[in-house]
Amino acid sequence: RSCILVSIGGKNIMLDCGMHMGYNDDRRFPDFSYITQNGRLTDFLDCVIISHFHLDHCGALPFMSEMVGYDGPIYMTHPTKAICPILLEDFRKITVDKKGETNFFTSQMIKDCMKKVVPLNLHQTVQVDDELEIKAYYAGHVLGAAMVHIKVGSESVVYTGDYNMTPDRHLGAAWIDKCRPDILISESTYATTIRDSKRCRERDFLKKVHESIERGGKVLIPVFALGRAQELCILLETFWERMNLKAPIYFSTGLTEKANHYYKLFITWTNQKIRKTFVQRNMFEFKHIKAFDRSYADNPGPMVVFATPGMLHAGQSLQIFKKWAGNEKNMVIMPGYCVQGTIGHKILNGQRKLEMEGRSTLDVKLQVEYMSFSAHADAKGIMQLIRMAEPRNMLLVHGEAVKMEFLKGKIEQEFSIDCYMPANGETVTVTTNPSVPVDISLNLLKREMALGGPLPDPKKPRTMHGTLIMKENSLKLVSSEQALKELGLNEHQLRFTCRVQLQDPHSDTDTLHRIYTHLKSVLKGYTIQHLPDGTVMVESIVIKVSSSTEDPNTKVLLLSWSYQDEDLGSFLSTLLKKGLPSGLC
Amino acid sequence: VENLGEVSILKASSGFVSTNICLWLLNAVHQPGSHCVCLLLSRYKDLHVYQLEHPTQVIEWTSGKTVCVAGFTSSKNEILELRLPLKLFADENKGLCAERDFKVVHGGFTDAPVRCLRHIPGTRCVVTNDGLSSDLQVWDLGGDDSDVIRRTGSVDGSRGVSEGGSRIAARLSSQPQVLHGAESAGVRLTQLTSGQTVYTLETDSADPLSSLHFVSDAVFLAGCSNGKVYIADTRTSAAPQLSPPPPSSGESVLWWTDASAGPSCLDPSSCRIVRLSSCGQTVISDLRNPGGAVSRAQLDVQTRRCNADDVRVSWAPALDDCIAVSGFSGAVQIYSSSVWTTELQEAQPLFEHRGHAVSSQSDDGVPVFVTSHVWHPERPRTLLSAASDGSVHVWDWVDQSAAGC
Repeated sequence: RSCILVSIGGKNIMLDCGMHMGYNDDRRFPDFSYITQNGRLTDFLDCVIISHFHLDHCGALPFMSEMVGYDGPIYMTHPTKAICPILLEDFRKITVDKKGETNFFTSQMIKDCMKKVVPLNLHQTVQVDDELEIKAYYAGHVLGAAMVHIKVGSESVVYTGDYNMTPDRHLGAAWIDKCRPDILISESTYATTIRDSKRCRERDFLKKVHESIERGGKVLIPVFALGRAQELCILLETFWERMNLKAPIYFSTGLTEKANHYYKLFITWTNQKIRKTFVQRNMFEFKHIKAFDRSYADNPGPMVVFATPGMLHAGQSLQIFKKWAGNEKNMVIMPGYCVQGTIGHKILNGQRKLEMEGRSTLDVKLQVEYMSFSAHADAKGIMQLIRMAEPRNMLLVHGEAVKMEFLKGKIEQEFSIDCYMPANGETVTVTTNPSVPVDISLNLLKREMALGGPLPDPKKPRTMHGTLIMKENSLKLVSSEQALKELGLNEHQLRFTCRVQLQDPHSDTDTLHRIYTHLKSVLKGYTIQHLPDGTVMVESIVIKVSSSTEDPNTKVLLLSWSYQDEDLGSFLSTLLKKGLPSGLC
Repeated sequence: VENLGEVSILKASSGFVSTNICLWLLNAVHQPGSHCVCLLLSRYKDLHVYQLEHPTQVIEWTSGKTVCVAGFTSSKNEILELRLPLKLFADENKGLCAERDFKVVHGGFTDAPVRCLRHIPGTRCVVTNDGLSSDLQVWDLGGDDSDVIRRTGSVDGSRGVSEGGSRIAARLSSQPQVLHGAESAGVRLTQLTSGQTVYTLETDSADPLSSLHFVSDAVFLAGCSNGKVYIADTRTSAAPQLSPPPPSSGESVLWWTDASAGPSCLDPSSCRIVRLSSCGQTVISDLRNPGGAVSRAQLDVQTRRCNADDVRVSWAPALDDCIAVSGFSGAVQIYSSSVWTTELQEAQPLFEHRGHAVSSQSDDGVPVFVTSHVWHPERPRTLLSAASDGSVHVWDWVDQSAAGC
């Protein structure tokens, strides 16, 4: 389950709110106690952002917003907003109606949750409040999937969600500009894989379909209304045309309407070729693919049927499955993940006997094929994304740390950036170098320039002396005198005086000269002057010599220094207390 | 459909596979040049196509399910241990396994090219050579606790600098040992842990090597680029047997060798040697009579450009009389030598894997060459092949001939 909390510039953001599909109890939900031990989350979160409609990214959203409690904005793209509630409702039905669970969100909760959604457009900056802004980028992967750029002041984070760097038949590849975020957060579940080509997957699919058809069998392909269904239809249509095949291909009408409806709405989210095709004709006007009627399922001979829902948990696809399951010539091809509790999940785990309603059992004799078409970024894809965005730090989530040292090393070496891999529950702190814009007073600037040295260079730091005034939202750098004047304060000077007694039989003038020589030899690199007014100056420290009234061989050295030279002053007094070396002249 | 690009049908015409129809589909999404992939549904039982970030010249089994590949650019390179897709091995429940991807199980960095890579059986060690000198680098592939491949040491070669780089061979032994050398004179067997040399091959002339092979625990072959093959026994200091180059071998002709696998030969002298020349002449000899030829053939290899580093000839470990040849072009050819005779005749391949050339990713007009191939040690018709464009294919071909291997 994906659920990441980011604190940036004082703002708290939740990235995705997914469900863990492997657990049946509360472990399937993210642990919101990280945010607060009790009570609603509204005060602790500035916003929630959902990357795409897969349940491991949005499955826990209604639970979070309605059962734990959150009333702030939930951001997601338009297609995600349209598709999310459908999947959530499907999922709710399976969990509650089929499995009889109780601690789960209701249909009304899904509706209430979606009311809090604020839709996002691609590449449009949205101000969540006057400090926090977000922007969505195209992520590929599934319809409506987005990567999000989050910025507060001069600090920023990019969260990728699931993305894909290679285009497929109906979706483009992820893209982002050189936004240079402080952190790029990427999923790394597939970071250590090298993907088999799309061609080989398609070949496998066509081979299986062809083999079944050749032996007179029927092929059922349960699909969700969008995405893969279109790709597979295009593939089969082309194949049928070239191989001159005669067996009928059907898709259920519910599928067409929904698919066409969504594609019309979200045409900008598919790739260019699909858009060109769609503009010219209806997405589903295929020569070899016709609308399905439930009576066709009993027709003899080979056929291929695309039907919903995708996990065989209800509806038409389940009805057809029940009819065809008993014949080993037939085949069912599952093109995606199935949630636990569904028939799809059971047959993918090898179950050959299924318990149906009314205690009847169904023998599964047909061939079951699991094909994965979903696209995730592999190691190469992650490197490509880093090259595009140029982040200052990299954060990989959902991988096993032990299995990702190599990738971490690769990223650190190639890009010279730090790469973090926190485990669930771990907090990572990344130091950023925010630039703080400050206005400098003209006088101070002139004074600094007059001091000489190289001209100010934006790439080279320069130490200077001044006072920083923070007033309302502005930062001003002025000279100390100006600051004091503005504050109506008088400047005070701290001066230290110290008397050191010294035994020296020479005259005052000679003693002073001896002190001068001694200090010159010890304090190399310092400005030491022997002034005509009878003093020695070390930097700005003044040394005077006078004789004690009782004994002319006892000299009293008067050292005086200002606060700025405190260290040197203390050093001198300690040094002189030790007396003068005898070999001086 | 017409907006998705052109589609055309081609009937495959090589030898045994003329009855198959191959389907070509153009990539629907805009790419600089058009891409074609030959699906050939009935030619392959399994076909997997991968793209590495950098091409490899080495593919070496480190277990029944993992291979090592490595880059050969002049600066920084990666060594990767890849696990083959689970789907390939899921024989009974193949349908239920959707896993088609390579998994990078271990990875490491090296500052030099990797021209030769050998796994030391029974260990998690691999040994590499950079082709610039005869020294070897020793690496630990790592276990479950880390995915980083680390350099653990080196083995000195017999000379300071050598033009061709060292060939390497290894077999299972109680003490990990590696056989290596760039030339016939000076091939050594070195103990990995102590660095001690336990055997050195002495030959009259120093012939550059194209390969080294163990045919048993103690007997090995040193295949030279000039066509000579030395047969030596590490237990004795006696002079090695010499199998002279096949006749009609010219000055500029290069030769590559393979020996049929040691473990399957109960008696090392019944092992067979195949020698392939840069003109495509192939000679098979028996170790019992290394000077003679059991059979010959003239293979149809395009010898326009032949990079000595790329050429590979290998016996199929689990099929009788089958040989794979690659490196002359973008194809891997499989020949059945059972029909060859002592007369030099042209031979047609039993199967040709043209996937690398056909699905080439390079669009600058430079032809793609296969840089390496290996057979799976147990699965009869499964091979891996790599090409100069970084592609790596895993394929299980279907033997269409009546008189098959």
